[in-house]
Amino acid sequence: MHLFRSEEHVGRWLEQQGYTAGATINAEKLCDLAHAWWSDRLAPDWRPHARDQNQAILERLGLTGQFWQLP
Amino acid sequence: MPGTGTRLAGPVRALMDDRDIQIRNHVYRRFVELGRAPTFAELEAELGDEVRPALCRLHDAHALVLEPDRTEIRMANPFSAVPTPYRVEAEGRSWYGNCAWDAFGIPAALHVDGHVSSACPDCGEPIEIDIRDERPFPDEHVFHVVVPAAHWWDDIVFT
Repeated sequence: MHLFRSEEHVGRWLEQQGYTAGATINAEKLCDLAHAWWSDRLAPDWRPHARDQNQAILERLGLTGQFWQLP
Repeated sequence: MPGTGTRLAGPVRALMDDRDIQIRNHVYRRFVELGRAPTFAELEAELGDEVRPALCRLHDAHALVLEPDRTEIRMANPFSAVPTPYRVEAEGRSWYGNCAWDAFGIPAALHVDGHVSSACPDCGEPIEIDIRDERPFPDEHVFHVVVPAAHWWDDIVFT
């Protein structure tokens, strides 16, 4: 789960590493995802997210399809 | 969080109880205060003998990640106990995120602005991003996930 300068750099890195491409999102969406996923992490009344809660976060941000399906 | 799958081989995740969650919250508070993970010795001194089994249950429940060979914290996501390529500064302190997502998650968890320092894995060029009012500046960078969501926890350290 890395940050890159651009999609071109992602492509080159994947080739160098021999990895199959996964999913790329922009920094704005990563920021939205981070806030939705982690903003309650230090709350005194924190409770673990259920799988469906996390899936709903992904779907709300348009992160859908097989790649983003949680187990 | 059992990322490596090698530490505890139980077939079913032990359930956390309310006391486990209190211990988990204590770990997180100390992580924020110290700018590093509290050690097992520190936690045992602060909380007593119940810490070891509680940490193991929390690890099994993916509420934090222990090192594969000892009861020391490796991750209290989004915080990393070990240095990573994702350094985060906020409110005059600094931490490491486990990955880019977690690095953006540290200001989110703290509910403050922050700064993420990293480098492009392809070319090594520094990447410096301010997070202000929940937005990244600059915003031209991209984030890539190799592992599909269904397999994130197969090896959370790699993910």
